[in-house]
Amino acid sequence: MDWIRISLSRCAAFFRKRKLDADLDEELQAHIDLAIEENRRHGMNEKQARTAALRAFGGLTQARESYRIQRGLPWFEEARRDVRYAVRQLRKSPGFTLTAILTLALGIGATTSVFSVVNGVLLKPFAFRDPDRLVVMREAMEEPGRERSVEPDNYLHFVRLKKESRTLEDAAIFQQRGMSISPTGDHPRIIGSVVTSPNLFRVLGVQPMLGRDFVDADAAKGAANVAILSYEGWQAFFGGDPKVVGKTLQFGGDPTTVIGVLPPGARFPRLTLAPNIATSASLATMVFVPLTPSDWDLSAETGNFNYSVIARLKNDVTLAQASAELEALQNAYTISAHLPIHLGIALTPLASDVTAGISGALWLMFAAVGAVLLIACVNLANLQLARAVSAERETAVRAALGASRGQLVRSRLTESMLLALAGGAAGVALAFTGVRLLLALVPENVPRLNEVQVSTPVLLFAAGLSITAALVSGVLPALRSLRVDPQSALQANSSRAVNSRDGLRTRSILVAGQVACTVVLLIITSLVLRSFSRLLRQDRGFDSSHVTLAQVDLFAPEFGDKLPNSKAVKLAFADRTLTALQQLPGVQSVTITSAVPLTGETWVDELKRPDHPLPEAQRPLINLRWINDDYLATMRIPLIAGRNLTAADRANPYVALISERTAREGFPGENPIGRTLSDIVPDDEHSVTIIGVVADTRVNGLKNAAPMVYIPYWTFTPWTLTFLVRSSEPSNALIPEMRRSIWQIDPQVAIPSLKSMDDQLSESVATDRFQAMALSGFGAAALLLALLGVYGVLAYSVTLRRREFGIRIALGSGKDALIGLVLRQAAYPVLLGTGAGLVMTVIALRWVRSLLYQTPVMDPLAVGGSVALLLVAGAVAATVPARRAASIDPMRALRTE
Amino acid sequence: MAESKSDVLQGTLDLMVLKTLESMGPLHGYGIARRIEQVSNNGLSINQGTIYPALLRLEQRSWVKAEWGTSETGRRAKFYSLTRGGRKQIEQETENWERVATTMARFLAPSN
Repeated sequence: MDWIRISLSRCAAFFRKRKLDADLDEELQAHIDLAIEENRRHGMNEKQARTAALRAFGGLTQARESYRIQRGLPWFEEARRDVRYAVRQLRKSPGFTLTAILTLALGIGATTSVFSVVNGVLLKPFAFRDPDRLVVMREAMEEPGRERSVEPDNYLHFVRLKKESRTLEDAAIFQQRGMSISPTGDHPRIIGSVVTSPNLFRVLGVQPMLGRDFVDADAAKGAANVAILSYEGWQAFFGGDPKVVGKTLQFGGDPTTVIGVLPPGARFPRLTLAPNIATSASLATMVFVPLTPSDWDLSAETGNFNYSVIARLKNDVTLAQASAELEALQNAYTISAHLPIHLGIALTPLASDVTAGISGALWLMFAAVGAVLLIACVNLANLQLARAVSAERETAVRAALGASRGQLVRSRLTESMLLALAGGAAGVALAFTGVRLLLALVPENVPRLNEVQVSTPVLLFAAGLSITAALVSGVLPALRSLRVDPQSALQANSSRAVNSRDGLRTRSILVAGQVACTVVLLIITSLVLRSFSRLLRQDRGFDSSHVTLAQVDLFAPEFGDKLPNSKAVKLAFADRTLTALQQLPGVQSVTITSAVPLTGETWVDELKRPDHPLPEAQRPLINLRWINDDYLATMRIPLIAGRNLTAADRANPYVALISERTAREGFPGENPIGRTLSDIVPDDEHSVTIIGVVADTRVNGLKNAAPMVYIPYWTFTPWTLTFLVRSSEPSNALIPEMRRSIWQIDPQVAIPSLKSMDDQLSESVATDRFQAMALSGFGAAALLLALLGVYGVLAYSVTLRRREFGIRIALGSGKDALIGLVLRQAAYPVLLGTGAGLVMTVIALRWVRSLLYQTPVMDPLAVGGSVALLLVAGAVAATVPARRAASIDPMRALRTE
Repeated sequence: MAESKSDVLQGTLDLMVLKTLESMGPLHGYGIARRIEQVSNNGLSINQGTIYPALLRLEQRSWVKAEWGTSETGRRAKFYSLTRGGRKQIEQETENWERVATTMARFLAPSN
């Protein structure tokens, strides 16, 4: 209990310092006076009495000091003194201070912004109940001779698994679709929607904050159209009207009643159907409607793998257990239903599934930024070390006056800490801007982007980072101040060179470290750049220039599949649109296709040959596209064999073109022309005859050429059409014309996408481009910092060795010899660093490999180029101090000290 | 940076101050210092100034209390006096010392 009383008394005393000091002075004065009185009584005179009294007392100052230490909060007062002193020192060298704070601010700001993105996208848990219990369930297919592939889910399989599973608490099945919303009935807008089984929100653990959740009755056949809005949807379409429940809107052309609104923060993640099916730019999910399973859904035992499933594991069940159980159920079903292919299951936790494509790139960026920050800290350490060495004298004096080692270290660290705090604060401010900048640059299909913000964990991270930066950059100089020998430092002469060489070695090692990090960064950057350029420059098989595309969704009621003549209606629309688009200015050719180029594989089906039947397991997979006779001309795809489609083929519509890869895989060693493919046109028994082979193209995605089968659109017209127009007019002139033409034909169709093909191409590689750009930026920053480091060390060493150089020049050494001397000194850390960097690169490349496209890991151009760049830059940085050394005036150097 | 002599004697100095106050009654700092010098027959040449941090220590632990008063010669000075806690502390410390002294004496006695 004593210590409480004592601490309280110390705190109280801290605030009453002045009065207590006055009291003490009076008390001490009284002591001296009384002593003098006694001495005088013993016969001394005034002067002797005073001297004796003071001598007997001991040191007045020491007494006051000890008293104060006992009385107040000495450590606090010392800290305050250290801070004030450090501030004064920093103000005296504004150049150093500003550079240091700026370096730290940039480093910490960049790291914090990137961490904000990483936190929002990768680390933050979803706003659902117990989100780590949620998994994404997909089916897997194993065919002998083929790799196990992961596929979307079949409706009936889902129903069966849900019923029989004992490890799943609940599961919901759904489809994510872009649907049209139209407040006015015309010119609909495309938004993200989810068509789901009624229990989705119960599985997720989210409750609507207005209105009610879905019930099973909502999904029954013939039930009224209802919808639940997301919070963003509610704000966007009803302006946050609290009486929204019961209001209607046009959803996909059908009037739908709003029955509920979700709370803010419950953002539905965008899932890929399967790993090889890309997601286009994500439309935020705004509307949820119940899924009424169609007859096809309820009868298709195989095929119809078109759904996504989110399931919740029971509390005490692990992912592995659930996986094993479901796999076993699938196995049993495969056997009992005599399925030709082996079914399996693929479970992934929701959080990692959503971020699967992007996490590698983000962590890479994070590591890059971290490396830059490290280099910045090392630079700072170097600068501070130089300061410490030049402040040796002052340190020596303080030591001689009685400063303890702890005090010396603490005062050096205080400076670093102040710099780091200032840098950290500026860095956090920069981070806000940085986050906004990153959000603008990052490709749109990065998931959960809308959840990125500068938040508390991020701020804590920034604070921790600043403190670490302070320690990293302050430790070396602080330790240095301990090794100062007061006596030799106080002497103004030659022994200083000995001490300083020590500091020089440390600094050179630091520079070598910087160079190593820079080399790694540069090599990785050049590899990524080369990979990216290779991706863009390789032969695509089609020509995207001067082509504008328009995606049109036929979601209006007149196209609905419940109508008996929907086929004819869709065909008529397509024909009329093609004709109308032909009339646009400068048009050379117009074509139609069933998928937007560069959005991944879709319309994937099996190749079935009636003349050469294969078991299901061995049938090659192809991508189906519905085109017209101008497709090859518009896309400039060469015809390899046979003939193209013509308008005459309207009479006998069951013809097809195949790509080279399809010919290789489906008809190995044979001539495919004249052969037939069966069971390929939806709802149609006819086979199609192959009339031509076209070149492979990378029209689905730049990374590979999928096998294609092209069938004329008049055989079957899908609901989503993409019109491609090749014209001499630029796209931005063409786009409004195209929109007008299409809506003139039918104002009810939605046009979710209308842009130039070049833009589409650029968007499809947005992730890769972003990576390349970001890394280049970091690489350049690192190079700059490393150069500053090399320059700094050399400049400093030249200054130190002025006398030596002066003597050399006086003794007749040539300027070239001196320059050579300095350059040789630079060579050591640079070469050492480069070597270490190469070793580090080899170790790190294992992780980087996954991000590269067809670029070998030790690509000689990339590695050689980076090393050469660094060496040249290092040489340039070294030249300046070298020249300065050569131009030293020997007289001046020898005279001054 | 060398340690001062009084650091070694901190604990013992406190006890000496307390005992002095016990036998002399309320006294000012100078008086306490002189008395300690006399009792130890000038064998203990401490710096008189070290008395003041010691007095502050005792005051923080509430073993002594301080009051401003006037000396015999009419000089204004701070007088210290024992509290009840201080008296208890004296008993405790004295016991400790005696125990230590007895044990040491046994060690230092010539072996039989």
